[in-house]
Amino acid sequence: MVEKQIEVRKLTKTFKVPVRAEGFAASLKSLVQRKYQEVEAVREISFDIEAGEVVGFIGPNGAGKTTSLKILSGLLHPSSGDVRVLGFKPWEREPAYLSQISMVLGNKSQLLWDIPPMDTFRVLAEIYRVPEKEFNLILDELIDLLDMKALLTKPVRNMSLGERMKCELVAGLLYRPRVMFLDEPTLGLDVSMQGRLRRFLTDYNQRSGVTMMLTSHYMADVTALCPRVILIHRGELLYDGELAGLASKLAPFKLVRLALEVDSPKPELPPEAEIVEQENGRLTLRVARAEAPKLTAHLLNTLPVADLSVEDPPIEAVIDQIYQDGEVSA
Amino acid sequence: MNPRGGWALIKRTWASWMQHRSFFFLLAFGWMIPPLIYLFVWSTAAGGETVGGLTRGEFVAYYLILILVNQLTYAQTNWTVGDLIRDGSMNVWLLRPMSPIYNALSTEIAGKVVYMLFTAPVALVLAIFLRPEATFSLGNTLLFIPSLLFAWALRFFWGYWLALLAYWTTRAQAFLSLQDSLIFLLGGQVAPMVLLPGSMAWIARLLPFRYMVGFPVEVLMGILPSDELVFGLIAQAGWMVMAMALYLFLWCIGTRRYEAVGG
Repeated sequence: MVEKQIEVRKLTKTFKVPVRAEGFAASLKSLVQRKYQEVEAVREISFDIEAGEVVGFIGPNGAGKTTSLKILSGLLHPSSGDVRVLGFKPWEREPAYLSQISMVLGNKSQLLWDIPPMDTFRVLAEIYRVPEKEFNLILDELIDLLDMKALLTKPVRNMSLGERMKCELVAGLLYRPRVMFLDEPTLGLDVSMQGRLRRFLTDYNQRSGVTMMLTSHYMADVTALCPRVILIHRGELLYDGELAGLASKLAPFKLVRLALEVDSPKPELPPEAEIVEQENGRLTLRVARAEAPKLTAHLLNTLPVADLSVEDPPIEAVIDQIYQDGEVSA
Repeated sequence: MNPRGGWALIKRTWASWMQHRSFFFLLAFGWMIPPLIYLFVWSTAAGGETVGGLTRGEFVAYYLILILVNQLTYAQTNWTVGDLIRDGSMNVWLLRPMSPIYNALSTEIAGKVVYMLFTAPVALVLAIFLRPEATFSLGNTLLFIPSLLFAWALRFFWGYWLALLAYWTTRAQAFLSLQDSLIFLLGGQVAPMVLLPGSMAWIARLLPFRYMVGFPVEVLMGILPSDELVFGLIAQAGWMVMAMALYLFLWCIGTRRYEAVGG
C-alpha cells in the first residue's frame, strides 16, 4: 500500500481583515472604531496525497492555493479542520517535521543577497545537519542536473531571475526533503528557463521519489509536471483528479474549427453554436460535447465547408472558463 | 538547540556584514555621538571640581565605558523583526527546523564584532587624548561581566518582545523608538544616575532602562554602595527574566496570528 503523506480534512482558514470607507472622515472614525470583515480564504477542503506524487494545485488569483500551502508547510494555523503531513500537524512546527519538508516560493528568496549562494548552502547544511560527505554528494548531483557550477561563487544580487531560481531549488533540496511545496516556481522566467526547470523537477521527482505539490498560473507547468490536479476556486475544492480528465469533466464542450469555401455568403449558424473566433472565412465554434456530432453533421449538410475539425478545448481555455464562471458546469 | 546551525549563521552574517562594513562603521559612529556630547558637557561642567561626586576624568571614563557598553548591548536586530513579520519575510525563518531567534542572535553576535572593530579603536584614541580617571577593582571588574551580559540580554529580549507587537500592529517600531528615548533619559546617557534628581532617580532604579546601559558602567566604575549594587543586580536579573518571559509568551500567541503575507 502506498503511504499517504498529506491528509487534509475539511480545512478552513478565515482571515479577519480591517475595512474602512474612503475619505478623511472614515479614516478618523476608524481610529476609534475599527471594523473588520471575515474573509474565508479556504473552505472545508479535503484531499490526500500519496508518497512520490506530483500534484498541481491550481485556481485563479485569490482562490486559496497559497494559503493552503502555507498551512501545509506550517506557516499558518488553520481556523478549523485537520491536516497531517508525514504524520505531523504542520503548524506545531516540530523540527523533525520542518527537516523533512521544503517550500520554494517564486517571489520570496531564501538566499542572502550579498554573498555567493555557496555560503548559504553551507549554512543550510549546518542547520539541517547534513554531514559534509553527503552535502558534497547532493550538491554535485543538483549542480549537475541544473547545470549551475558557475553560479556557486557569484553574489546572488548579480544573478538573473532564472539563475536565482536554480539556486533556490538547490537550497530547497540540499537536505533531501520528503515533501516539497512549490509556489509559482517559474514566475517571471523566460520560456526556455521555464522548460529547463520543469525538466529538472520531473527528473528529480523520478530519481528521489519526493512528493511535490505545486501551484502555478502557467498551465504549461501543470501539464508538463502534474499527472494530478486539485482545482480550487473561492476557497472551495472544485476538482481533484487526473489532468487528462479535467477537460472532459469540467468543460462539457468541444471546439469545431471550420473553413468555408471562398466567396461563401455569411453562414447562418444554429443557436447552440457559439462563435469563439472568426477570421477570413475561418470559424471556431464552441458547442456542447453531447451536441457536437449532430451539429457537425448539420454544418456539413448546410454550409459550403472546405475543412472541418472537432477538438477538445486546450487546457488553458478550460481553466479560463472555470475561473470566469467560478463553478463546475458538469 | 542547534549550536552548529547557530554558529554557521553567525559566520554567514559576519561575512555578509563585512561586505558593507563602512555602512556599519557609520552607524556605530552615529551611536557614539550622543554619549560623546554628554561626555564633553559633564567633563566641562566638572572642570577642576566634582559634580555629584565625579571628577572631570571620572566623567570621561564613565562616558567612554558607556560608549562601549551601549554598542555592546544595542540590539539593532530588533528594528528588523517587525519588518520581517509585516512583509512576510519571517516565512523563511519559520520554515527552518530551528527557532527564528537564532537568526536574530547570530546577527547580534556578528554585529558586535563588526561594531567593535570601529568603536574600540576610536574609544582608545579618545582615551589617550581625554585622559580618563578610574580605578577598576577586581571585584567590580568581575561583577561587571555578568551585569554586562544581563544588560545585553535584557535590552535584546525587551526590544524583541516590543518588536513582536508587529503581529498586532503594523507600526511596532514606534515602541522601539520609545524604548530608545527612555534609555537615553533614564539609562545613564543624559547623565549618570547619581546626578538625576530624587524622583527621577527613584523611577530609574525601578524601571528596566537603567539596567540596559548605565548600570554595568556604574558597576565597573565602583560608584555604587554595596547595597545598591546588590539591589541593582537583582533588579537587572528580574527584568531580564521578565523580558524573556514576555518574548516567549508573545512569540507563542503571535505566531498563531501570523498571516505570512506574500507568496
